[in-house]
Amino acid sequence: MTFEDALQQALNGLSFGALLFILAAGLSLIFGMMDVVNLAHGAFYMLGAYVALSVTRATGSFWVALVVAPLALAVLGLIVEPLLLRRLRGRHLDQVLITIGLSLVIADFIRLRDDWGWGATVRSLPVPPGLDHSIQVAGSDYPIYRLFVIGFSAALALLLYALHRRTRLGALVRAGVGDAQMLSALGVDTDRLFTFTFAVGAGLAGLAGVIAAPVFGLQPGMDVDALIYSLIVVVVGGLGSLSGAVAGSAVVGPADTFGKVLVPQFALALIFAIMALVLLFRPTGLLGRVRLGR
Amino acid sequence: MSRATVARAAIVLAVWAALATFPQWSQFWESSRFAAGIIRQILIFAIFASSLNLLVGYAGLPSLGHAAFFGGGAYAAAIAAQRLGTDQLLVSLGAGVAGAALLALVVGFLAVRALGIFFLMLTLALAQMVFAIAFQATDLTGGSNGFSGVHRPMLFGIDLSAANDLYLLVCVTFLLVTVLLWRVTTSSYGRVLVGVRENERRMRALGYDTRTLKLSAFVLAGAIAGIAGALSAYEFRFVSPNDVALGTSVTGFVMVLIGGAGTLLGPVLGAAVVLLIERVLPSQLPAQTILGIVFILFVVFARQGIVGAVRRVARA
Repeated sequence: MTFEDALQQALNGLSFGALLFILAAGLSLIFGMMDVVNLAHGAFYMLGAYVALSVTRATGSFWVALVVAPLALAVLGLIVEPLLLRRLRGRHLDQVLITIGLSLVIADFIRLRDDWGWGATVRSLPVPPGLDHSIQVAGSDYPIYRLFVIGFSAALALLLYALHRRTRLGALVRAGVGDAQMLSALGVDTDRLFTFTFAVGAGLAGLAGVIAAPVFGLQPGMDVDALIYSLIVVVVGGLGSLSGAVAGSAVVGPADTFGKVLVPQFALALIFAIMALVLLFRPTGLLGRVRLGR
Repeated sequence: MSRATVARAAIVLAVWAALATFPQWSQFWESSRFAAGIIRQILIFAIFASSLNLLVGYAGLPSLGHAAFFGGGAYAAAIAAQRLGTDQLLVSLGAGVAGAALLALVVGFLAVRALGIFFLMLTLALAQMVFAIAFQATDLTGGSNGFSGVHRPMLFGIDLSAANDLYLLVCVTFLLVTVLLWRVTTSSYGRVLVGVRENERRMRALGYDTRTLKLSAFVLAGAIAGIAGALSAYEFRFVSPNDVALGTSVTGFVMVLIGGAGTLLGPVLGAAVVLLIERVLPSQLPAQTILGIVFILFVVFARQGIVGAVRRVARA
């Protein structure tokens, strides 16, 4: 592998990691607040991509889709949380099971909507105009959209960090992650806070779906892939914290990309091996506070 | 054995005998062959769901990766029969069980370290790795095309390739597995597993090595799932990566929960309900959507499944 190739793959790894961050941040946020691993997260990601497809077709603009699709997913979160999850508060495993049922329904819904241009065939979302060309990076062409993904994700991370650290809402979320029961006793409406958190998490999944669609396309099974990758990221990085999502995606993105180039047969085995090692020697994940086991 | 146990065993045997002779007494019904096929598949998935139930319902280990052992067993049985060039049932079934148990040992070794929801995440992720291997090892498994041309087996000199013989094989295996699971869950080992589910810390304090206990249950459940997988390979004469995929794990979980976790009858009923929804409802209806909604309703309103709901009604 030449230096140019290595640089190119490093950028690929970074942009994949950047995408994984957007995906895993939502999963981690919901878990941190509610102790629920949202197994419909991959389905939310998938739905975000398909909504973006329809919005782009209708309006002709990727940028409208980039705003509308995450909002649509957030609204879905606003409906789902009070309707389904709130009834089972305190029964964490049952809440997780509900999200499995939800993901079945969403994936089947997408599969059956041929009339919306969704369905079971592979669809593609064009790279937005302006970002659809390549630029010279260290002497070779590199698609500018992938650089955009890196920049977008970094900006999002900073924004989330600022919201988390510097606003009243962020303080409430941090308090809720620390001790939701105490927060409730102090007079904060934690039900509303939970619903809000779930909606933001769903919106982030939708956002990841939109951002990923021009690169990876839209097809059945993308929900499972997204779910698996985001689970690995949060296990490696540590659940329930923003910095954990950053650390996990920074490890898994490049590892997966280089693995696919260097040892194509064992690429998946590589990231699973990383996960297994982290689990054996650092059961909280690299930066987590929650022990996954003993 | 108490009188109630004897009565229950007698009922189970009577129902089983009626089921086992179904192709004979229903042969003048025009849909008899179709119905027998559905019953075979229900029983195969009932074995799969029952093995998962040992984890979910008894040991309190919510595995969302059980398809790895179902599909792993199916592949092992099919590959062993092909490579060894034999149609002997005991060889391929044995390979299926051994392959699945070995896989469960590896996956379980990592997974039993995690608790509750994390166990669920880990089993899901590790099973997906098995799926990736099945998908990529094209030489061995046929990759995305699947493994076709699985032979129906022979038991010593008896050819089991006719549909009715396969039917009897599935029925007998189902009975044996059920008896085994009944013995296991009512043994002191089964009680200890339930103890681990209820309060693992206390069981550790009592001197039980709970991690090894959980791993042993995981391997046993994996081995039984391998039996179901091998039977499924004979049934469809085909093994596909779908058999290892998350969808199959979810189907098993849905069967256990709908039927009633922690009961022997529950997973069997659950398998029947799920397969009737998937295979018998008119194909215009969105089966997966219906399953998803039914599953959500059971989790919210009837967490103990059909068996639990019936018990509650009977008691009231």
